[in-house]
Amino acid sequence: MDLETTMPGPVDGRSGQGRAMPSDDARVAYSGAESRRGASATARPIARHRGLTDRSIAWLCIAPTLLLLLAINIFPLLWTVYLSFTDYRANRPGVPIEWVGTRNYERLLASEDVWGYLQATAHFVCWSIALQVILGFGLALLINRQFKGHATWTTLILLPMMLSPAVVGTFWTYLFQPQAGIFNYMVNFFIGAGDFTMIGDVNLAPWAIVLVDTWMWTPYVMLICLAGLRSIPQYIYEAAEVDRASAWRQFWSITVPMVLPFLMLAVMFRAIENFKMFDLVVELTSGGPGSVTELASINLKREAFEKWRTGYSSAFAVILFVTVFGAANIYVKLLNRMKQR
Amino acid sequence: MNKGRASALAGAAVALGLQATPTFAQDQELTLCWAAWDPANALTELSKDFTAKSGIKMNFEFVPWTSFADRFLNELNSGGELCDLLIGDSQWLGGSATYGHYVKLNDFFAQEGISMDDFLPATVEAYSTWPKGSTEYWALPAMGDALGWVYRKDWFARPELQQAFKEKYGYDLAPPATWDQLKDVATFFQGREIDGKTVYGAAIYTERGSEGITMGVTEALYPWGFQYQDPEQPYQMDGYVNSPDAVAALEFYKALFECCTPPGHTDAYMTTNLDAYRSGQVAMQMNWFAFFPGIAKDDQVGGDRSGFFVNPKAKIEASALGGQGISVVSYSDNQDLALEYIKWFAEPEVQKKWWALGGYSCHKAVLEDPNFPNTAPFAADFLRAMSGVKDFWQEPTYAELLQAMQKRTHDFVVADQGTAQEALDKLVQDWTQVFEDDGKI
Repeated sequence: MDLETTMPGPVDGRSGQGRAMPSDDARVAYSGAESRRGASATARPIARHRGLTDRSIAWLCIAPTLLLLLAINIFPLLWTVYLSFTDYRANRPGVPIEWVGTRNYERLLASEDVWGYLQATAHFVCWSIALQVILGFGLALLINRQFKGHATWTTLILLPMMLSPAVVGTFWTYLFQPQAGIFNYMVNFFIGAGDFTMIGDVNLAPWAIVLVDTWMWTPYVMLICLAGLRSIPQYIYEAAEVDRASAWRQFWSITVPMVLPFLMLAVMFRAIENFKMFDLVVELTSGGPGSVTELASINLKREAFEKWRTGYSSAFAVILFVTVFGAANIYVKLLNRMKQR
Repeated sequence: MNKGRASALAGAAVALGLQATPTFAQDQELTLCWAAWDPANALTELSKDFTAKSGIKMNFEFVPWTSFADRFLNELNSGGELCDLLIGDSQWLGGSATYGHYVKLNDFFAQEGISMDDFLPATVEAYSTWPKGSTEYWALPAMGDALGWVYRKDWFARPELQQAFKEKYGYDLAPPATWDQLKDVATFFQGREIDGKTVYGAAIYTERGSEGITMGVTEALYPWGFQYQDPEQPYQMDGYVNSPDAVAALEFYKALFECCTPPGHTDAYMTTNLDAYRSGQVAMQMNWFAFFPGIAKDDQVGGDRSGFFVNPKAKIEASALGGQGISVVSYSDNQDLALEYIKWFAEPEVQKKWWALGGYSCHKAVLEDPNFPNTAPFAADFLRAMSGVKDFWQEPTYAELLQAMQKRTHDFVVADQGTAQEALDKLVQDWTQVFEDDGKI
């Protein structure tokens, strides 16, 4: 046996602990020295470790996770893409699957109803995020002033986001109840709007879901903004004060730019979450009245698990995935560019 | 082993052996799946007799109506073994028979001498057969049901209200016989003060998520003579689904919704209507006959305070069909026991007790008893309704057909989008595409 080619690592067991693999040259020199010592008896146990490089060990460690990811993420994704070109229906076992080409995509993109669901989703996502950013940032600025009892207020403000969306949706239906709901009572107390129904009115229902989502998730945005505000070093403000910068100027030149990366992160999280919003809106309106609050995810669920049009709904899922994935990628690039400034 | 120890072990073995026989019977279990509503409680009570007779323990899986179809259709589609027996909606028959979810019962019926002639023909056709018109049986008619109406008999009887109504409409305030009268009565009560409280005309179905508004709208469509397709040319729907009469019926339903329902009644199905009625909010409510025994016994609105009437006529007299048959799930490991339950349930004496407990038997031994109309204040109306029932599509693609109708009718009636003609034209397009995809056209 040629020891120069079979001994990859150190001979001394102690010396191999936590050490980087020696280079080929070093290994040859090392093994050459060993052979000169004539320690051929030690070569056999060392050969058992052959091939276990650090890279191999790393792959071994991450292999289970990778396999799991492939099994539960990548394979279903590829399978969904395949199904989107078929007429497959999951409730028809044994029926041959037929390849229909791009028919599902053509039907989806040509459907006025589908564009309506996407518009409803866009309205919900844009307005809820806009309101949550404004209110969340405002609350964070207030809480950051560390007034007396601010910790208690923070806890109280955070309560809505700790509830289940389904529970929130259900109890807001009671608050919106036209005859006995406290929401209608309060609106009438202040502005005397008369009889109105938030979730039964075509014009008000889209705003009702925005309102409830804002109530629930503004604390989340506030929390992220608060983290951003607390990460700003105090000396920057002190330096600004030395330069006699006004509070307004400090806000726009220090606070906003330094909180912006945090805010953008919050926007991304909320956008992804709201794009796939389901439970809260289903409990509130079931997508009605008519279809004015039927968000894309609600329609997707109806197509996939009520109508069992698996191929068609797979195509819709692929379109939604590409949309969210593309938008998120562009957004992350913007975020990174901002961080580098 | 010493003698004492051996005899102790032997004694224990004998004791265990003695226990084993009854324990074995008790170990046999069946799970029956149905919706969570009043009749399910009656069935639980009734099934105690089956357990006493057979030693088979009954478990029940009752799911609220709003998630009933989702829950159990998913169970069937995934080949789930949760349910041995399923009381499924009549519309599921096509899919469940076609895709092998239910056990075909013809041989079992023949073997056990269970005759479908013993059940009301309309219920056999609606709850048991697929394809329609055939004699292939997939269920035993279990729970007859139709959509009817309940009214506040005590309010209708008030002299001052009777007088005011007659002055306004020229005829007596009474349970409406036609849809025009229904609207008159509902309009009369809308916003009226009764006992210091504002009340409203009628609680009708407007629910969007499952099947509510479709059931409500068809309750109006059928009396206008609605037909799903050309009787001579199956799946030819243009000119039938969107006929002038269908348009008129849909417009009438929308008018009733706009004039005479309580504020915010935009997503209402069975429970919402019941709540509105029980709380004294409405003068009339549309609901399934299945709820009527509970209403008749209700503390607040039961007894003489409530009356019942069959769906009013327009051009003809017709009602939307509810109700279900009981089927054996083909994925069950306990099919023999499940069949034993069905055999027991089909017995005339059991059917009589079923009706007495609040279930709606479809057995002629119950319904054709001369005394049947006198057994409950709604019994005569139930018989009358069942003689003119009409059901939604029972095709394997029923869920797609239903969702399309939910959307189109809710868009028009509640969301006030487009016209009735446009809504029904779009419905024809939707349904045509469903049948094309299914290879029926």
